[in-house]
This record gives sequence, C-alpha cells and structure tokens, in this order.
Amino acid sequence: MVEPSARTAELELRGIAKRFGHVTALDGVDLSAYAGQVLAVVGDNGAGKSTLIKIISGVHRPDDGDILLAGEPATFHVPADARRAGVATVFQDLALVEVLDVSTNMFLGQFPRRGWFVSRKAMDAQSRAFLEELKVNISSVKTEVGMLSGGQRQIIAIARAIRTGAHIVLLDEPTAALGVRETAHAKDLIRELRDRGNTVICVSHDINVVFDLADRVQVLRLGRVAGVREIAATTKDEIIALITGALSDQPVETLA
Amino acid sequence: MRSTLFPRTTVNSASRDTFGDRRSADRRDLDRYTQQAGLAGCILALGVFFTLKNGNFASHGNLIELLRAATLYFIVACPSTLVLVGGGLDFSVGAVYALGAVSAGLLITHGTPWPIAIVGGAAVGVAVGLINACVTVYLSVPALIATIGSFFFAGGLAVVITNGIDVYGFPDSFTQIGSDSFAGIPYLIFYAVIIGVIFHVVLEKTVFGYSIRAAGGNRSSAAANAIRVARLDMALYATSGGIAALAGILGAARLSTASPSAGGAAFTFQVVTAVIVGGTSLFGGVGTIAGSALGAILFAELNNGLQVINVNPLYQSIFIGIILIAAVAVDQYRRKHRFRIGR
Repeated sequence: MVEPSARTAELELRGIAKRFGHVTALDGVDLSAYAGQVLAVVGDNGAGKSTLIKIISGVHRPDDGDILLAGEPATFHVPADARRAGVATVFQDLALVEVLDVSTNMFLGQFPRRGWFVSRKAMDAQSRAFLEELKVNISSVKTEVGMLSGGQRQIIAIARAIRTGAHIVLLDEPTAALGVRETAHAKDLIRELRDRGNTVICVSHDINVVFDLADRVQVLRLGRVAGVREIAATTKDEIIALITGALSDQPVETLA
Repeated sequence: MRSTLFPRTTVNSASRDTFGDRRSADRRDLDRYTQQAGLAGCILALGVFFTLKNGNFASHGNLIELLRAATLYFIVACPSTLVLVGGGLDFSVGAVYALGAVSAGLLITHGTPWPIAIVGGAAVGVAVGLINACVTVYLSVPALIATIGSFFFAGGLAVVITNGIDVYGFPDSFTQIGSDSFAGIPYLIFYAVIIGVIFHVVLEKTVFGYSIRAAGGNRSSAAANAIRVARLDMALYATSGGIAALAGILGAARLSTASPSAGGAAFTFQVVTAVIVGGTSLFGGVGTIAGSALGAILFAELNNGLQVINVNPLYQSIFIGIILIAAVAVDQYRRKHRFRIGR
C-alpha cells in the first residue's frame, strides 16, 4: 500500500468550523481521506460527527475552512453539488421509498428516460447488472424495498450511492440498526467498495466495526480532532481514551 | 479480497441473502390485480343482483346512463388519484367544479366564444389548485385543511359571482359537447376514456409518474434524492383544479345550465371515495387509474341500481359509507402484512 502522506487525498478538509448560534459544533477540523481506504470517524455524542457529515455532503456550509477534492477547492451549496462532484452520502435513514421496488429506488431522482418516459427495461437491467457486479445476490429487482430486511435496505442504499458514479462514499452509522449477520454483509460490501478504489468515510459508534473495517480512524471530541491513527498501529483502548478525552493530541486549554 | 459477498450456491431455506424471492415480486403484481379483480367482482355481483330484481337494469340504455353518470366523477378522480398517490389530498374539487362551470358560463353569456370560455373556466380551476399547492408547501398547512379551506373559498366565490342564480342561455354548439353522442355512446364517455388513458400512462410510465409515487411513498427520501417535491405538488394540485373545473364545464354543457350549487361536498366525497375504494392509498405512493375507474363505476352502479329496484335513494349513503370504511380497512390490513418494518 502506498503511504497515504505520499498521495493527494481524494477528500481533504482544512480548518473546518461550524457554529449554530452560540454552539460551536466544529472548530478547526482537518480530515484527509484516500482512495482505496476506509476512514472511520468516531466520537461520542455531540462530538460533531453529524455536522461533519452534513458539511461533506453539502447539507451545511462551513463557517470557516476549505473542502478540497483531489487537491482542488470545492464549494457545496446544496447536496446536489456534492453529488455532482462525486460525493455520495448514505444517511442513517437511508432515504429509500418503502412502497417502491428495488430498481426504482436505485434510480430515484435519476430515472433513465426516453423522452418523458421512464425506460423501465433499462432501469431493471442496469439495477440487476450493478447489484451483481457488487456481488449482491438478487433474484428480483422488482421487490418492494419495504419487504426487505434492514440489512438488505442498507445494501440497496449503499449500492445506489455508488451507482451514481460517486468515488467518495460517506456512510452514516452503516451498521447501527443491523443484526450480527446483516452487519457482516454490510461490512463485506464496504470492503468491496474500498477494493474497487473508492474513498470510503464511515461514521460509526461501534468500535468493533471500526477495527474490522477501517484503515485509519479519526477521533472527534467536542468539535475538534482528538487524534488520527492507523488502525494497524493503535489499540481499542487508545481509541476509547481519545473518544472519552482521557488522551488527546490537542492542547487541552484551547477548549473555550 | 473475498470471492463472493453472498454465497450464491448455498441457498438455505430462510434465504434472506437473496433479495425478495421471485414469488414475492410476482405476488406484488398479483396483489395489485386481485384487489381490482375483487372490485370488478363486486360490480358484476351487484349487477347480477340488480338485474334479477329488475331486468331493465341490464338494458343498453340503462348501462349507457350508468356509465355516463360515472364519467364526471371519474374524470375528476383521475387527477385526484395522482394527488393521493403523491401524498396529498384535494377536497376542493366539488367547489372548483361549480366555480369552473359558472366562470365559463358567465364568460359565454357575456359574449366570449365558448372555446375560449372553456379555457378561461379551466384556468380559474388551475389558479385554485396553485393556491392549494402554495398553502400546503409554503405555509405548511396540511392538505386536508388547505383544500377544505379552498373548498369554501371557491364555493363562496361561485355563489358571489352569480348572485346564487343559475347561469344559462348557452349556444347549442357548446351544449352539444356535453350532451351529444356518437354511435349511441355519449361524448362524455369518450372524454372519460381519453382522460383515463392519459392519466394512466402518466402515472405508470413517465418520469413525472415515478416521481409522484416516490414523493407520496416517502417525501423526505424523494427530496433527498433530488426529486423536486414542491414542484410536483404545484403540478398535481394545478392539474386537479384544472380538470375539476373542466368537468364542471362539461356538466354545465350537458345540462345547459351552470349552477353555483353544482358539485359541492357530495361531489368531493364521491370522487375521493371512488379513488380510495379503487385501491389508492390515503397514505401515498400506491394507486391506479384503473382502480379509480372501477370505484367510480361501483358508485354509479349503486346509485343507478338502487333507483332501478326502487330502494329509497336515502339508503345509498349508508352503503357508500360502509364500502368506504371496508376499503380503507382492507388497505391498512394489506400494508401491515406486506412490509416487514412498517410505516
């Protein structure tokens, strides 16, 4: 593996700050994510994980700091801007429509058209081909999403994110609502994403999932970066210490 | 890297790795049609019952009359179906029906050529629809309240501009569009078929139709996937208002009279009830034009048949009420049993 520092980060944040009224959600946050790697972002409740996701996905605009995509500065005014730039976000609620089938959900908002009409055949064929390519076993793309299990829905949501051609995939708690077996499936799919050369950023509460999945882990605490570690060179205890504040790379007194 | 994510060969009996086995997908189509088949069965059974009571029910003339009675409800039920599938509700249609009729009627009696008057009347309906959409989207007033409000508003306006007096004295060329027939079949039935086919294709095949279904199925998910839900609402309510006004104008042409008391709450409820009985869900995302057609025919049949067999028409409402509640109960039951993690 190429040493990360020798490459340009696919996604880089520099000095990101976000305030909501008197509350400082993020303060001087740097982040670098590389192609073919899974970067985990962890932190306690209120650490700023959600705000960070919303900034990368274009939901919020930072009050300060820069977003760089492959070294080029980028500004996201609305989520569609991030999507166009190749950043796909799978939010915790998955944004699926339960009463619609798998293939319609895969193409939600971007239906393949022939004039005013949806090309149903193309949509079904492309969905099937794409899911097969991701090695997701599927016998009918016409099944309603509401009939799938939580894990299957998660997989559909992730597959949709990459179908749009995104090379940076942001996952918000991808295993939070899943059972043991479903978690394993979701993890396999995330590894598949990474092996295909995507840049994966994964926000998670679950330390075990992080150690299973991630190549690097970034810990947030109270809106600041408490530390960044290579998974291979750290321990769960160290990460937990960073999360709880028992250990910090930041000078303590800067917390206002 | 692993060779496969999900082992393809080892399909165990519980096989939740395989997405929705073929049977469940087939069942989806089946489900959709069983409800419509059930409804068609009801219509047939009722027809047999009425015919046994009075042979005149099945006469050619009476069946044409029955269909003609269904047409105006069905024409308005088409856009209403789309509104409901899109997660909305339009209770203003009964009043817009009257407002469209008297607007066009007044234009005609004041010397406007009738084709232009029809466009003018429909435009008034579109305007009410756009107000409905703006009130729900920008003022966040629930569709139920917004459209009940505009029901009173439009109904009141229809009375005010006519002083409560019927408008009549239309040229024959105008009244013929509502009362003439071709090959023994009233024009109205042709209009209903054409409008029905158009709305069916729009809902089932077009990008607009797919987006409506998505927005009605889960509004925030649709919005998160760059479907412009506010714009959809505008289009849906505007269409609903425009078509309701158009139906009112056709009704006026048929009776040679535009009455401010036409349509009304009874019309609104008949339309919405026909749509819901036809299998369109009150909760959005699910519904068909064919179902709404069957719903409209069922009510026209009930109306007509009870008269033919000399049942006091006052009983009709009781039957309609029972059918409506039964239909929604069936819809709820199906939802609960279809989806694992329910909404």
